[in-house]
Amino acid sequence: MRTILHADLDAFYASVEVLDDPRLTGLPVIVGGDPGARGVVSAASYEARRFGVHSAMPLQTARRLCPDGVFLPGRPERYRELSDQVMRIFASFTPQVEPISLDEAFLDVTASAAAFGDGEAIARRIKERVRDEAGLAVSVGVASNKLCAKVASDLRKPDALVVVPVGGEAAFLAPLPIRRLWGVGPAAAEALRDFRVSTIGQLAALPDATLRRRFGKHGIALAERARGVDPSAVVSGSAPKSVGHEHTFEHDVIADATLETTLLDLADSVAGRLRHNHLAARGVQLKLRYEGFDTLTRQQLLPRPTREMRPIYEAAVGLLRRVRTAGRGVRLIGVTAIHLTDAEQLTLFDTGADREARLEATVDVVRERFGHDAITRARLLGDRPRRRFDFGERPAAPPDDEGG
Amino acid sequence: MNVSVMQENLARGLSVVSRAVSSRATLPVLANVLLRTQDAGLKLTATNLEIGINCWVPGKVAEEGEITVPAKLLTDLVASLPNQRVDLVLSPKDRTLKVTCAGSKSSIKGIEADEFPVVAAIGDAPATTVDARALREALGEVVFAAASDESRPILTGVLTRLAGNRMTLAAADNYRIAVRHLDLASPVSAEMTIVVPGRSYGELMRILPDGEAPVEITVTPNKSQVLFHAEGIDLVSRLIEGQFPNYEPVIPSSHTSRAIVDREAFLAGARRASIFARDSANIVKIALGGDGEDGQGVSITAHAADIGDNADALEAALEGSPTTIAFNARYLIDVLSNLGAEEAALELSGPLAPGVIRGVGKDDYVHVIMPVRTAS
Repeated sequence: MRTILHADLDAFYASVEVLDDPRLTGLPVIVGGDPGARGVVSAASYEARRFGVHSAMPLQTARRLCPDGVFLPGRPERYRELSDQVMRIFASFTPQVEPISLDEAFLDVTASAAAFGDGEAIARRIKERVRDEAGLAVSVGVASNKLCAKVASDLRKPDALVVVPVGGEAAFLAPLPIRRLWGVGPAAAEALRDFRVSTIGQLAALPDATLRRRFGKHGIALAERARGVDPSAVVSGSAPKSVGHEHTFEHDVIADATLETTLLDLADSVAGRLRHNHLAARGVQLKLRYEGFDTLTRQQLLPRPTREMRPIYEAAVGLLRRVRTAGRGVRLIGVTAIHLTDAEQLTLFDTGADREARLEATVDVVRERFGHDAITRARLLGDRPRRRFDFGERPAAPPDDEGG
Repeated sequence: MNVSVMQENLARGLSVVSRAVSSRATLPVLANVLLRTQDAGLKLTATNLEIGINCWVPGKVAEEGEITVPAKLLTDLVASLPNQRVDLVLSPKDRTLKVTCAGSKSSIKGIEADEFPVVAAIGDAPATTVDARALREALGEVVFAAASDESRPILTGVLTRLAGNRMTLAAADNYRIAVRHLDLASPVSAEMTIVVPGRSYGELMRILPDGEAPVEITVTPNKSQVLFHAEGIDLVSRLIEGQFPNYEPVIPSSHTSRAIVDREAFLAGARRASIFARDSANIVKIALGGDGEDGQGVSITAHAADIGDNADALEAALEGSPTTIAFNARYLIDVLSNLGAEEAALELSGPLAPGVIRGVGKDDYVHVIMPVRTAS
């Protein structure tokens, strides 16, 4: 039996706008360009949806329905940045992640149970981490297949967690309108009405012969889905091309010691993710944003592929010392492992590096069980920078805490 | 100082010592070469404090003396002179060396010889003697395997053990190891183990005479330096302190698959595969038997997701079960290009066990490469 999650960020673009500008909290936010121009709504906050605004609606209609709405042009790069971060959170629970779009993905977590618990537990952890690290709400459906997981995640948005019990797939779907089912568009729904079918359960109850006559092969597949059967696999895309973490300081930082300690912390996180994904980095990239927002990135190849903190940290610190303009305040610092490889060079002798590797593997196990802060390097104690990711100010409450 | 030497001899001598000249000297005098009249000739000395090289150039001494002059300047000047007599005359009061050859006259400002560090002339009787050609061949099969990065300094050295009639050289960089035995011309009285920097051996290989000639090996009693002396040439090197890892247990004593392949063909295949492996961590895969047309032979393949792939099929004599292994191409190319044998034997015990390469008919050498664990 598989355990599949469907995770869907709630009103993603609109939520990002609220996240980056907390003054928008509680306001109807509509993303999709200048309302005077032609175009359609890309995303609407739940507040805007209460006015009847929904995505794909012409902007002019949205303007008429919600004249006081906050219309924003959208920032695709920012959405992608956050999407990448959320996808990386997903990928930290299973390598089998199938992104559907920027804001949704299927996860096959069948093999992750030993490490993270059952589907519901994983879903809770994902929701927590997406909230804590990205500041976004995500709705998650848990089921034994993609179809039910997808329907489940959509059922009680926003910020929902819906678990379809194993064996209860058909019962779960039965009361739902047939339009919730994949492959049932307006035309099919209209045709099914001829058979007095308006719920998925009614569709499931139709004799196969009837369906075949009316819909051909497609009809049989439809009935299968209506009974909650969906054998399709989660197809994970290519392995991540890079693994990075960054940190935005609350106040611009000049002190080398603070920057270097932060790099140590970031390198620690990057190495942990590499190990988790069974990848090694052949290069390290440093990102530095100065006060005034000019940003530079510099990268360096490593002598050997690594998934340990120390070489990543040392490369990052080396880059920092080379490129940094002394005395300029640093707003953001980031470390990214690049040129990833899944190959691991085995070693002859038990070296310091091997001991380091064993140490870090042990740290991973402890953190797996007791949480990230359960164990850390002594150097990171005390002045360890509080982890706050690069999202500007974060609203006190999640942006989507009302129904919609 | 007033000495006359032939340009050709002086040029050769300067090229011998030039590699010991410090390129980024903290002490200016280390960028110089020391010239000192000695034994009816001219002794040239250079040092970078890790190694020091003396090279004696035959000549005619009219007046004894010594001076240091910038090595690169003198080397470039002498290289440009015709092969005729070069007169070197020191004017002590302004420390200027006058270099005269044919119609050419130059003056080079020098630094006093007594500012030059002492390159130890080790007084003790040599521990042993070994043939120059045999030593050079043995070093060629070992030195490349020493680590080049300094993260573990002991591995930048070559373990050198003198015991009885035998010299053992071993170098490793944690991903591969090369071990070579050779006979000594005279037995050592006491067993001795030192670790010589790989770079020092690299220079020794370069300056040893081509033919058969005795090379005396002397180690200072405190085991801080080693001296190699061949005719007209000394190389003194510092030694690396510390414990070389115990490599014997990591050399496999058995195998489950063995392939004998023409070394040149194997090398060419590995080089081709490495072109395609550049973007994928330099990983090449080797299959013994199994996949080939007749289940015989060895294949070398490389695959780069965005670039393409490459496969070379090699004729091979196989024993044992079919197997595969992945290596960093560089390690394979290094050993195959340095191995002094027509045929190479590759001995494997599965994809994750160390791979062994030997020369066929050559029991004085073993090379071990650790494989790469790949996801596929």
